[in-house]
Amino acid sequence: MRMRHDDDRLRALMLAGLAGDSAAHAALLRALLTPLRSFFRRRLGGRDDDVEDLVQEVLIAVHQRRATYDPERPFGAWVYAIARYKLVDRYRRSGRTTPLDDLPELADEFAFDEASDARSDVDRLLDTIPEKQAAVLRATRIDGLSTAEAAERLGIGESDVKVSAHRGLKALAARVKDGWR
Amino acid sequence: MNSEDLIASLAQDLPPVPRHALGRRLGLGILVGGLVTFAAVGGWLGFRPDLMLAMHGFTFWLKWAYTISLAVCATAAASRLARPDGRAGGWLWLMALPVLGLALIAAMELAATPSAQWLAMWLGASWTICSRNVFLLALPIFAGLLWSYRRLAPTQLALAGTTAGMAAGAWGATLYCLHCPETSALFVLTWYTLGMLGAALVGRVLGPRLLRW
Repeated sequence: MRMRHDDDRLRALMLAGLAGDSAAHAALLRALLTPLRSFFRRRLGGRDDDVEDLVQEVLIAVHQRRATYDPERPFGAWVYAIARYKLVDRYRRSGRTTPLDDLPELADEFAFDEASDARSDVDRLLDTIPEKQAAVLRATRIDGLSTAEAAERLGIGESDVKVSAHRGLKALAARVKDGWR
Repeated sequence: MNSEDLIASLAQDLPPVPRHALGRRLGLGILVGGLVTFAAVGGWLGFRPDLMLAMHGFTFWLKWAYTISLAVCATAAASRLARPDGRAGGWLWLMALPVLGLALIAAMELAATPSAQWLAMWLGASWTICSRNVFLLALPIFAGLLWSYRRLAPTQLALAGTTAGMAAGAWGATLYCLHCPETSALFVLTWYTLGMLGAALVGRVLGPRLLRW
């Protein structure tokens, strides 16, 4: 149900953007950042520059080719098809011969449902550790910022970010273990 | 470039997208290509002198029913495939109907004709050039469709290319009917179809190269 909800929200932004509302368009593109980053990160494994490259390619395609969105259909499926195409195109260009069928198919259009379920669990856990550590983890592990970007956003030093992330993860691990006992 | 900056620059100055923008874009590509083909039929091949008379006859409309129904199916499929999440659906399969229908009529024609004349009926007077002409006349329309696709988002490039080639072939054949005086269903079934398939093959080969985005 949450997926429907999310899809409706994004779809509404998309329709407003198609009508010329640039604030809605910017909000839409921003809302796509996190799901796109996690989509590509899961498939590229760690190469962050490539991930951000692909995310930007998809954003540009969503912008330039927005006329190909059919308002009668789910928005997530449309973005997912673009993201998948860009990923396959990247494989092809880099000479990797991964057949299309080898890519794990995301059955739920873009897995919004899954992502938001997991999100609320993570939120609950992050509430149990110190605020700064939680903020650093949110910035680096969830929003996918680099150490430097996270430091800039939170207004603290880069080493502080690293230390807080380390401590935060440790604290989280301890909480999870406690929870299992 | 930072993704936030990219988003800010993309969202600046956002022109609204009119409804049916995709259909218009495809229609424009086909129309402009079709005008070039039309001019080529008129200027290079020449319209058949008895065109007005022929338009009152059955065979002219039979040929048009064949080529136009194929063109409509292929164009519908091409417009579906212009969307990233688009599937051609039943449109490509539907193209079997006109082919089967014309084959049936060709069979009836054969049955009504003494077998000594079958070869002449099949080859007509222009079998050596017919497929080539259909193929060549398809090219401007194919180019128009490629132009349309440049702002669209096909993800199955080989299939989209084949379908665009087929649509261009069928529209090209439709315009070729304004020149070609052949009358037998068997002739059209063989040589027209061959020309269209040639265009589809070119689309199949060029699609993955030219449609990338």
